[in-house]
Amino acid sequence: MTPHPPPSAPARERRPDESMTLLVETMERPLDPGYAQAARERAAGTRGPRRAVTSVWVALLAVVLGFGTAVAARALNAPEPSALAARTLLEDEIASRQAEADALTARVDALDDEVDALGAQALSEEEPALLASLEADGVLSGSVAVSGPGLVVTLRDASGFDDAQMSSDSRVQDDDLQIVVNSLWASGAEAVAVNGRRLTALSAIRTAGDAILVDLQPLSSPYRVVAIGDPGSLKADFTRSVAGGYLVTLTNYGIQSSVVGQSSLEVPADASLRLYHAVPVDSPTAAPEESSTTPSARNDEEQGSGR
Amino acid sequence: MIAVIGLIVGVVAGFVLQPEVPVYLQPYLPIAVVAALDALFGALRAKLDGLFDEKVFLVSFASNVVVAALIVFLGDQLGVGAQMSTGVVVVLGIRIFSNAAAIRRHLFKA
Repeated sequence: MTPHPPPSAPARERRPDESMTLLVETMERPLDPGYAQAARERAAGTRGPRRAVTSVWVALLAVVLGFGTAVAARALNAPEPSALAARTLLEDEIASRQAEADALTARVDALDDEVDALGAQALSEEEPALLASLEADGVLSGSVAVSGPGLVVTLRDASGFDDAQMSSDSRVQDDDLQIVVNSLWASGAEAVAVNGRRLTALSAIRTAGDAILVDLQPLSSPYRVVAIGDPGSLKADFTRSVAGGYLVTLTNYGIQSSVVGQSSLEVPADASLRLYHAVPVDSPTAAPEESSTTPSARNDEEQGSGR
Repeated sequence: MIAVIGLIVGVVAGFVLQPEVPVYLQPYLPIAVVAALDALFGALRAKLDGLFDEKVFLVSFASNVVVAALIVFLGDQLGVGAQMSTGVVVVLGIRIFSNAAAIRRHLFKA
């Protein structure tokens, strides 16, 4: 119970911002403490006269720092050209590689046609029955292009939105296409293609980001599903199927669709169709040649796209 | 005086010679420039306070640039380079602001 404050130094007053020493430090002591110390030393005269060597070092450091800062500022000021050059280089490379891939694909298609034509020619003379069954199998498996009457179902992303403000609900999604395609098969379609890609037993319709992939190839709106089958019953069955009501529901999200019967449609072949493991039971040859390497490559490809 | 002349010589040389900056140094350039600005504002304030010292100026300049670059480099190695850059810019930015305020008080008495 001392009536007067203790004789020691007055207790340090707690600052309201005591917990923010870092900010306080930067705000209140922005100047390098070295300046004050140098000034004190100068005032006290404890600092010896500057030697010539120090002056040389100071000058050298000054030149280096000025040089470095100027170079940095200049490099920051003009990074655009190099970035642009790199970008155009990459774009050119992408375009040329794409053209190369397109040319190779066209060549594969042409050679495929040639192989088919030669095979058909050879078989038509010796075993016409085998040729007929081959073609029938090809139509069902999707390795032969077909034409005939059928149905065209078109789905279109909702319009009137920017890409940015468009929600995924207003886009056609992989489920939508799957339902349409499955209903077409269920309604008796004999061959189906989406945007010119033939669907086979091995086809997958899936989504990656905003894009729909059919057999790993990205497609974009509008999605044109072509189905070949009996024009009358196909359309009637399709309208009565799940997809018929589903397409009506989709209009609530702004997705427009149309179902049009046509008398003459073409569905291309899927050139990539081949067997990797399966061998016909009564086949004279043992196994396909590429069975050792290709299946793993294909598996990798499919797993890679599944992410 | 030597320091200021040296700096001017260096800046002129940098703009005249126009050397290419190696790619691995590119991420540190903005930080280096901000650190240099901080040192320059500090020097100007010290000059107005009558405390300016060439040696202190140059050493603080060099250490500013090197430490800032080092922090960003460390951040890059740890995978937090962007956050480290932000931290350095915030701290140096606050210092530049308060030094600029002090300079303003000196010059305009307000």
